[in-house]
Amino acid sequence: MNNIFAVAGVVIKELYRRKDFYVLFILTIVICLVMASVNIFNDSQIIRYLKELCLLLIWISSLVIAITTTARQIPAEREQRTLLPLLAKPLSRTQLIFGKFLGCWLACGLVLVCFYAFFGALAASREHTWPLLNYFQAAFLHWVMLGVVIAMTLLGSLVFAAPSSNSTICLVIVLAILCVGRYLDLVALSLAEPGRSIISGIYYTFPHLEVPFGMRNLIVHDWPLIEWKFVALDALYLLAYAAAFLVAACLVFRRKAVN
Amino acid sequence: MNAILRTEKLRVEFKGREFRQLPKVALRGLDLEVNAGEVFGFLGPNGAGKTTTINVLLGFIQPTGGSASLFGIDVRQPIARQRIGYLPELTYYYKFLTAEELLRFYSRIFSLPRAEAEKRIDAVLKLVELDSARKRLIKTYSKGMQQRVGLAQALINNPDLLMLDEPTSGLDPLGRMKVREIIQRLKNEGKTVFFSSHELGEVETVCDRVAIIAEGELKAVGRVGDIVGQRASLEKAFLDIVGYQPQSTP
Amino acid sequence: MNSAKTSWLLLIALLVLCFGLAANLQPKFQSLESSRRQSNNFFSLMLGDSSRIFANSFFVKADAYYHSGYYPTIFDNNEAFRTPHMAEDTGAVASHNEGEETSFMGPPRDWIDAFGRHFIPNRHTHLDEGGPTDDLSTSSEVREILPWLKLSAELDPENIKTYVVTAFWLRTKLNKVPEAEQVLREGLRNNPNDPQLLFELGRIYFENYHDPARARNIWEAALRSWARQAPGVPQSDRLEKTNENFDNRFIFEQLQTNLAQLEEKAGNRDAAIARWELAKLASPTPDDIQKHIDELKQKQTAH
Repeated sequence: MNNIFAVAGVVIKELYRRKDFYVLFILTIVICLVMASVNIFNDSQIIRYLKELCLLLIWISSLVIAITTTARQIPAEREQRTLLPLLAKPLSRTQLIFGKFLGCWLACGLVLVCFYAFFGALAASREHTWPLLNYFQAAFLHWVMLGVVIAMTLLGSLVFAAPSSNSTICLVIVLAILCVGRYLDLVALSLAEPGRSIISGIYYTFPHLEVPFGMRNLIVHDWPLIEWKFVALDALYLLAYAAAFLVAACLVFRRKAVN
Repeated sequence: MNAILRTEKLRVEFKGREFRQLPKVALRGLDLEVNAGEVFGFLGPNGAGKTTTINVLLGFIQPTGGSASLFGIDVRQPIARQRIGYLPELTYYYKFLTAEELLRFYSRIFSLPRAEAEKRIDAVLKLVELDSARKRLIKTYSKGMQQRVGLAQALINNPDLLMLDEPTSGLDPLGRMKVREIIQRLKNEGKTVFFSSHELGEVETVCDRVAIIAEGELKAVGRVGDIVGQRASLEKAFLDIVGYQPQSTP
Repeated sequence: MNSAKTSWLLLIALLVLCFGLAANLQPKFQSLESSRRQSNNFFSLMLGDSSRIFANSFFVKADAYYHSGYYPTIFDNNEAFRTPHMAEDTGAVASHNEGEETSFMGPPRDWIDAFGRHFIPNRHTHLDEGGPTDDLSTSSEVREILPWLKLSAELDPENIKTYVVTAFWLRTKLNKVPEAEQVLREGLRNNPNDPQLLFELGRIYFENYHDPARARNIWEAALRSWARQAPGVPQSDRLEKTNENFDNRFIFEQLQTNLAQLEEKAGNRDAAIARWELAKLASPTPDDIQKHIDELKQKQTAH
């Protein structure tokens, strides 16, 4: 575990020393502040459109950070030859994979804390309320969902040749799941065989990442808390997928040449 | 003498890329032993299998046949690398870290206690003369400084076996002398040094024993003096052993 | 030397040709452009005609906000949401909705769908009726639909519904009557003499400013404008009960009904009865109106 945390620590350092996070964070703040300054019929209490915009930017930024940070981990190590001195230490490949995953995941967690803190401050500036538990539920499931994305991207970085292609493919898959994942079974019903069976199979096997994504509407429109048991169940469901992707990544990495 | 590095009938084959292409045999049943406390030179022409042997010893690639062990532990176990230090030929390290942070990271992987790790970091940085630049990011280092960082990270865990791949490649004469001094110092401390090199003059000066490998096979192993024998130099002996035939001039 | 001179002359000739073509084509191009192209809105200009599609989607977005996010997607049964409820509830827009609005999602299709519904808005609510918390004191939360309506109006200034809906909520739930009037006047600048906008403006003067005389003038102007929309077409044809005439009948009925109520309030029973008779022609419940006319006639006789 010590080795895993050591590798994770380096990944986190890399994230806060690169400019990506700061650029996206500042961009989010600027866009939200500009939109907040718009005069809408002299009413200063309108907030939901801002909340929706802010949450959308948070989701986009977090996905970009998660995917781009993870996609370059192993390929960059291989390209820059930092992998050799690393694996020459008493560090197994499985520990390296888990360390990279944990580092990216914790780094994304820190990113989400910053983003959601800004979101909370923005919302509170007009609503004058702090539904902390609601924000916590949304942020927590958002973070767990990013764990699945990171694990999937890590597997992709071992399968695909270049980080750019891996990033693109993972981003397209994730966006497709977020947008139409919930309705894929309806799409399947409208098709003839064998398309119907294929799409149905995909519907039941892919991770339903759109569940945390749908929580944005609950936050924007001030719906009551979700029951904690459902939050826990969804977290377990997503963690199971993350674990599956990680195991696959370990199996693939074991057979890969490192130089 | 007890061998801390041992290979037995080590065989490595690489699959051909083309369909029905025969596999390329990089190592053909290599038997090698390195004893504790000696400086061992590993020589051979390009493509002989030196790097493949080191890669197997470090667990980078799996052998097709035979076995390899470090300190009696199979090289496939990560713990086999607990007491070794490795300096690759081309040294690249995380550009976004400082030298101090890099060494702290590696010492954590070696499970060094924090107090001891800090002492070791101070000691190796002084040894490689990077103490004044320890808090600067590695991306600001010159090539020579990066190579010294490489040496520092190879020594951070006070290794019993130091594996060096072309350690003086690209170094200026001062740098080469520094490396020679470090090797000598380690030998005096009873450490074992295993290194591959093309600098035969250097090998002749520092090594206790050498092995010469060509086309994946061990051609000769023994004390430098025994291998040189009646020949004028180690270079002549090397050329004879690998079967070099000078082309007749027209 | 000669070739350089030729190049310069060629360049000048090309420039003259370009200038001549531009001067010749510009007036023709201007006559082809629609009035929307002269919009000074940046997004309208950039999006061109597709701004109408965006405007429509933002109008629907406002209705989604009206329902606190509980809204059908293209995959769901949206028969009960053809006319946005925020527009329907204003009483100024004809409703084309059918079916059950509380359960457009239907029963869960499988365990994934059933589980996923815990994480999305899953109950039919209206912002002005308490929203998700059923708290009636928060009815002014309907303000949240305004940004989308404003954006929709800017992208498609020719969509009357947007101004009507915006003005209604501004004046009824948010107590912003001057802003509501401003919205309607903006709509009238972009759509001169539109009967629906004039009707809404009349409502402001009647219900908020308590100026029945001005309201009467505006509603009568709206009726004249309604008649001018189809010159030469008899009124009876326009009030025939067909799908195409649905909106025509609706606005005619609304105008006549409100004028009738205004006349009743002012004590002008004869005028009121005349208006009710006209409203009956377009009303979906003519019997109820006839009953009311009979009551008025009885009262008149009694006096």
